[in-house]
Amino acid sequence: MGGAARKRRTLLAGLAVSAVLATVACGGGAAGDSGGGGIEKTIKIAQVQDQTGPIAYAGLGASEGAELAIEEIEKQGFLGDGVKIELQKLDTAGEIERASSEMNKAMGDRDVDAIIGPAATQQAATVAPLVGRQKVPTVFTQAGGEGVVINDYTFRVTPPMESYYEQVLEYLKDKGAKTISVLYNATFPTFSLLGEKGVPKMAKERGIDIVQSLPVQMTTQDFAGQSQQIAKKNPDALVMLLIAPQSVTALRQLKEAGYDNQIVATSVQAAGNIEAAGANANGLVYPVPFSTAMDGESSQAFTKAFRAKFDKDPDPYAADGYDAMWFIARAIKASGDSSREGIRKGLAQVAKEGFTGAMGGLTFEGNDARVDGALVQWQDGKETLAQ
Amino acid sequence: MQDLLNVASLGSIYLLFALGMALVWGTIGILNFAHGATFMFSAFVGHLVTSETELPFLAVVLVAVLVGAAIAALTQLLAFQPILKRSKNQHAAEMRILIGGIGVAAIPLAIAQHQTRSSPFGFRSSYEAEVLEIFGLRLSTTSAVVIVAGLAIGIGLTVWVRRSRRGLALRAIGVDAETAAGMGVNRTLLAFGTMATAGALAGLAGALLTFQLGAIAPETGDQLLIKAFAIIVLGGLGSMAGTVIGAYVLAGAETLVLNLNYGTWVDAVSFGLIFLILLARPQGLLGRKEVRRT
Repeated sequence: MGGAARKRRTLLAGLAVSAVLATVACGGGAAGDSGGGGIEKTIKIAQVQDQTGPIAYAGLGASEGAELAIEEIEKQGFLGDGVKIELQKLDTAGEIERASSEMNKAMGDRDVDAIIGPAATQQAATVAPLVGRQKVPTVFTQAGGEGVVINDYTFRVTPPMESYYEQVLEYLKDKGAKTISVLYNATFPTFSLLGEKGVPKMAKERGIDIVQSLPVQMTTQDFAGQSQQIAKKNPDALVMLLIAPQSVTALRQLKEAGYDNQIVATSVQAAGNIEAAGANANGLVYPVPFSTAMDGESSQAFTKAFRAKFDKDPDPYAADGYDAMWFIARAIKASGDSSREGIRKGLAQVAKEGFTGAMGGLTFEGNDARVDGALVQWQDGKETLAQ
Repeated sequence: MQDLLNVASLGSIYLLFALGMALVWGTIGILNFAHGATFMFSAFVGHLVTSETELPFLAVVLVAVLVGAAIAALTQLLAFQPILKRSKNQHAAEMRILIGGIGVAAIPLAIAQHQTRSSPFGFRSSYEAEVLEIFGLRLSTTSAVVIVAGLAIGIGLTVWVRRSRRGLALRAIGVDAETAAGMGVNRTLLAFGTMATAGALAGLAGALLTFQLGAIAPETGDQLLIKAFAIIVLGGLGSMAGTVIGAYVLAGAETLVLNLNYGTWVDAVSFGLIFLILLARPQGLLGRKEVRRT
């Protein structure tokens, strides 16, 4: 009896030790990830972004940009001869739960060295604490809201919109605008932040009065009432912070309501998203972190390479993916280590120094990128730099 | 006055979308969750056709109506009819049709999302909307068409369901399908025709709304589906007149909230109002009180 009990205790102790070892192996920060491991011959990057669903354009664009970057990195032997980068695409399909489960899948795969994280703020903010706990370096693109860059393992390569929106208000001031209205989607985190805090602050600093602030929901599809209210107030300019289909309708109905003054918008209207508005969009001005109209050397080089590979113009989402992948590659080179911990250290180092990419010169506030961006004007189906 | 015109325009948008859904749900008892996808995909095909060749207003509408009718007829033939045949009772069939509708909807949605990358799409048409200004009121020609079409089809359908023999047969199916079949009503054929009509209405709504809004996105149908669901329940299931009234009540509530500049409260206030009305009249505004026999 005593022998059997001892055997049971030994067995239980053995199981407990195995469980602890298994937890260490599966959980965050395994011993093998502590860095100093050199650069592997194959580096696996998971792109956990929308490939389908309502914001698939962001994920698909980023995929193309990342693929171009990988091609260049491998061709140049940037990380050493024969070093390959494998890009694994995991679709979040516009769902927060799916983003969480796909991120868990990527983090649980010991071959995944770094992640390009979700492009939607709600998805990104949900998974950001997880990557901190699991200690997987994650570079987000887009996801401009709060709660995304929150720990040492979270980085963002797309600057938050409010960081480069100042130039819009500066443009309006230069054009002599004294009064503006703000029409914004209050259920879209980036626009809510900008519409309720960013724009009022920037306008006040420039002596511009906000005569009207009209919040709408994600489900708002008809803007006839708001357009007539704006036309009645007739401000010198309208700041329109709406998602792509909403902006097409709003532009049409603003014209129908008789509002003909300057309208400024956001980078959401880039990537041809405003094309369906036809002539109603002519003269629309919006800031973008990247545009094919940008004349910087690195932006032009990216545009040229992208056109050669995909036979079409790149959009800002492709620039995001391109810069995110180059950010990771530079990080690996900087630390000389392609392990998760090595990449994290490298990302922090590159962020301190900044680098030049498709979006021009990228500097960082902590782990969060900043760019000058460009102000573009839409005219007859094309973007040109706003004068 | 301008606000009333806005209510009429927005209400007619909702009505055009909700009519087809109300027709099949209120008569043959099919809650078709693929209605939004049918609406969207009809407009999407119109977009594809007009990308190749510019078409006039009526031709685009005709394309969308035909596509809508075809999608709905195929949905009935390949999905709902087999489900009805294999289900042991009405309750089981309704649940399966509901899920089946969601499944069917996912296919056109995925195709449109893939093709457009979820960017908004519109029509390349020779039609250019003009703005009419009468006594200081502004109304676009497209809004005028939407209002007239919404009211005319809404009233016409209400009268047809009430007065015509086919309308009577449809209502009989809605009350008791087996008894109606016993009295010579060809349920299968009538259900097929009703679904095709509802699909055509979805196509019409898709085309008119795309002209009215300038563009729609692949997800636009899903957003309207919830509103149509609320409108039908508010008006009273089975009552086409109730659907007409429900659409304008919802539009009126939304416009009122917007005018008070509580844009983010539109859904909360509007659906809250519907909830209150339903507390007082669970059968909806014009619905008949359900009698349960024990």
